[in-house]
Amino acid sequence: MTVSTGTEAPPEPRSAAARRLLGVAVRHPAVVPLGAVVLALLIGAVIIAAAGLDPLVAYAAVLEGALEPGSLDYTFSVWGFTCGMALAAAIPLRMGEFNLGGNGQLVLGGLAAVVVAGALPGPFAVPLALLAAAVLAGGFGAISAPLATRFKIPIIISTLLLSPVAVAVVSFLIRYPLAERGSGVAQTAQLPEDARMWRLPELSYSNVGLLVIIAMMIVFWIVDSRTAVGYELRVVGANRRFGAYGGIVVGRLALGAMAAAGAAAGIVGAIIVLSAPYRLIDGALLSPGYTFAGFAAALLAGGRPLLIPLTSVLFAVLQVGGAAMERSADVPRQLSDLLQGVVIVVLALRTVLDARRTGRSEH
Amino acid sequence: MTSAAVELRGISKRFDAVVANDGVDLVLRRGTIHAVMGENGAGKSTLMSILFGLVRPDSGDIVVNGVERHFRGPLDAIAAGLGMVHQHFRLFDSMTVAENVVYGAEPTRRGSLDRKAAAARVRELSDRYGLETDPDAVVGRLSAGARQRVEILKALHRDAEILILDEPTAVLTPDEVDSLFAVLRRAADGGATVVLVTHKIHEVLAISDEVTVLRDARVTGRFRTAEATSGALVQAMTGREVREVGNPGTGEPGEVVLEVERLGVTDRGVHRVRDVSFSVRRGEIVGVAGVSGNGQHEVVAAILGTDPIESGTIRLLGRDLASLDVRRRRALGLAVVPEDRRGEGTAVTMSTAENLSLGHHRTPPIGASTGWRRGFLNLRAQRDMARRLIADYDVRTSGEKLPVGALSGGNAQKVVIARELSHDAPVLIAEQPTQGVDIGAIESIHQRLLDYRDQGGAVLLVSHEIAELQALADRVLVMFAGRIVAEYSRADASTERIGAAMAGAAEHRQAGEHEEAAS
Repeated sequence: MTVSTGTEAPPEPRSAAARRLLGVAVRHPAVVPLGAVVLALLIGAVIIAAAGLDPLVAYAAVLEGALEPGSLDYTFSVWGFTCGMALAAAIPLRMGEFNLGGNGQLVLGGLAAVVVAGALPGPFAVPLALLAAAVLAGGFGAISAPLATRFKIPIIISTLLLSPVAVAVVSFLIRYPLAERGSGVAQTAQLPEDARMWRLPELSYSNVGLLVIIAMMIVFWIVDSRTAVGYELRVVGANRRFGAYGGIVVGRLALGAMAAAGAAAGIVGAIIVLSAPYRLIDGALLSPGYTFAGFAAALLAGGRPLLIPLTSVLFAVLQVGGAAMERSADVPRQLSDLLQGVVIVVLALRTVLDARRTGRSEH
Repeated sequence: MTSAAVELRGISKRFDAVVANDGVDLVLRRGTIHAVMGENGAGKSTLMSILFGLVRPDSGDIVVNGVERHFRGPLDAIAAGLGMVHQHFRLFDSMTVAENVVYGAEPTRRGSLDRKAAAARVRELSDRYGLETDPDAVVGRLSAGARQRVEILKALHRDAEILILDEPTAVLTPDEVDSLFAVLRRAADGGATVVLVTHKIHEVLAISDEVTVLRDARVTGRFRTAEATSGALVQAMTGREVREVGNPGTGEPGEVVLEVERLGVTDRGVHRVRDVSFSVRRGEIVGVAGVSGNGQHEVVAAILGTDPIESGTIRLLGRDLASLDVRRRRALGLAVVPEDRRGEGTAVTMSTAENLSLGHHRTPPIGASTGWRRGFLNLRAQRDMARRLIADYDVRTSGEKLPVGALSGGNAQKVVIARELSHDAPVLIAEQPTQGVDIGAIESIHQRLLDYRDQGGAVLLVSHEIAELQALADRVLVMFAGRIVAEYSRADASTERIGAAMAGAAEHRQAGEHEEAAS
């Protein structure tokens, strides 16, 4: 019988040390999101090159178009709306739920705002319009929670399926009961002067609405990191069974999260219709693609409140610069949508691979 | 002395900052059963994963049958004659034994599976090694012991000469353990080399020829089993002598605080729990024995309220729980240490402090319940409580910010126990509280449960370990097929009786009695 006390660790070969360092680096949580962005840009570059154009020129046009002094004001406002819609995705994402109903919530917010502000012009028009938008869109978003709790319809499904219903209803209202008289365009009448979002000095696109969205992001950050509700959201997002076992009422939490998400989207919709051209135009809330861009930004940030402003910059730049790229480099702006799509696919792939890997390592 | 089938030389492996293996040497002689022992986190699983090609070592050599090997994956290891039986079975439940055994290396005829040849192969292997199995049985209907035999057959079918078994007895009844050991002995006598990974000392002494003990990533002992004593093994594993914790048998228990009456639980049409009644009093530990999957977990879930019940009543401190959700049940006075530590008891990606605060986050000092700070967390109080519990429960960690997933099994379990006991609830349900936990931690967890009982707590202790129930419980209930089939007082709770009841003997006897009464 021998008892050895263990040997000295042999000096590690350099290659092994380098490999270990690489191993640590590869597992860093930022690697996959950054990789997704880089991969998207590379794929975009290949497509541009395949079309016989110069990718570097195209990307330079994107950056220039978005960040030149003249368009910064506009980029800022797009960034704000992207952030707002990212919030609508990120709040449920924090507890592991996907809100794909941003479009419906957005247009309902716009509808509520245009009705309330149009009916009650005056000093309280803007706050009341925002409140109405939050209530209507929040209520609409919240429907998905009992559907999940009572009828086991996943939130990702019910939001996706309910959203077009809301979009269609709002579209109908704009075309018929609320249509501007004497106009051939599907739009509501312009809001009166005293029912419009307050302006910021020297800016034409960005207004006080941007500050409202920034305030919402700060509130989300505080709730997420400093309150019992935020803690419960993160617990359920990390491990739903752990949350249920610990006494968290997951259904009620989902109700709150979906209401808050809907309210955030609704407020974005309200801010858009309270800004120029001060009316609800059919399709105008959806065509810029804030919902999808916001969803991608939230996914890229992993729902983390402090990262959303950063990831939203990426998509806002793509959005605004895409138009400039079309003008100066002759690359269609749909490339922006394509890049967003690639980012989402790569992130989704990560989720699937993660699930597989943990499934395998649990021996 | 026979020749070496496998030699591991100077194996080292690090995961980030954690050293899992540090210059480990291991020699497995042909035709022997070699036990690899160690507490959780000692590095035995990593070592076996390296041997089986699942993990690549940072440095060190693997020599199989005198040839140095560099496994790129388990397929390379299988080709070199290794086979592994994992702790959790990897079988297709809907397929037959024969199909599972030959999967991946099928005998074929004209391009399709030759079922006859497969069945014949299974019979041949079964006979040679004394593994009783029916090749045509559907795996999903087999007991844990039978499934394990299928796993062993799978390895043997691929001509494995070196069998690695990772904690093979965790899911078996005492009888099944005996027959497994007989099979392993027969395989070794036939020239196979068997590696048994375990932390159960009595098993090592009963079955192995040689033992290698790991502690903190290094080899701390090599023994020939015939010359080893349990004391020496424990000392090599823990670095100190372990004191046996036992139930000192204190005064009379107090009033009933948990009462379950005629409980029935159905899951998708299957009766999981039938007509179960029992009660637990203050100052009493009631043990529930049973092979995993006989309804114990469903009883716990029904009391906690995470799963709905079909029939019956549950009363906690005299109050019917039917209309109360998990939060209210916990607030009323219930704490639970769940069986599935990673899946239910913790959120592995969250910090230790956040894992410790669940349930405390809405009450002072962490959660303010009144005033303008209502709903806010006091992060400083959260940190302070975490530090205090980490110190009190001797959780080995670099700090309260470390994710629980980075802790060893025993330390993660201490986090769960610390959180649940810190609720000061009068009733505690502990489900497999020491499963996958090392010896040092087992001792401290047992002592915590006894202290809690002695302070007037009521404990429902669900365990597969008969020895654990004997050491701690004042009474032992045995569950089989969803029913309580036997109850033993502390004095009557012998291993043979409990083991027989776990295997369904009492059920059969009772059924027989019923038939007699009916006729």
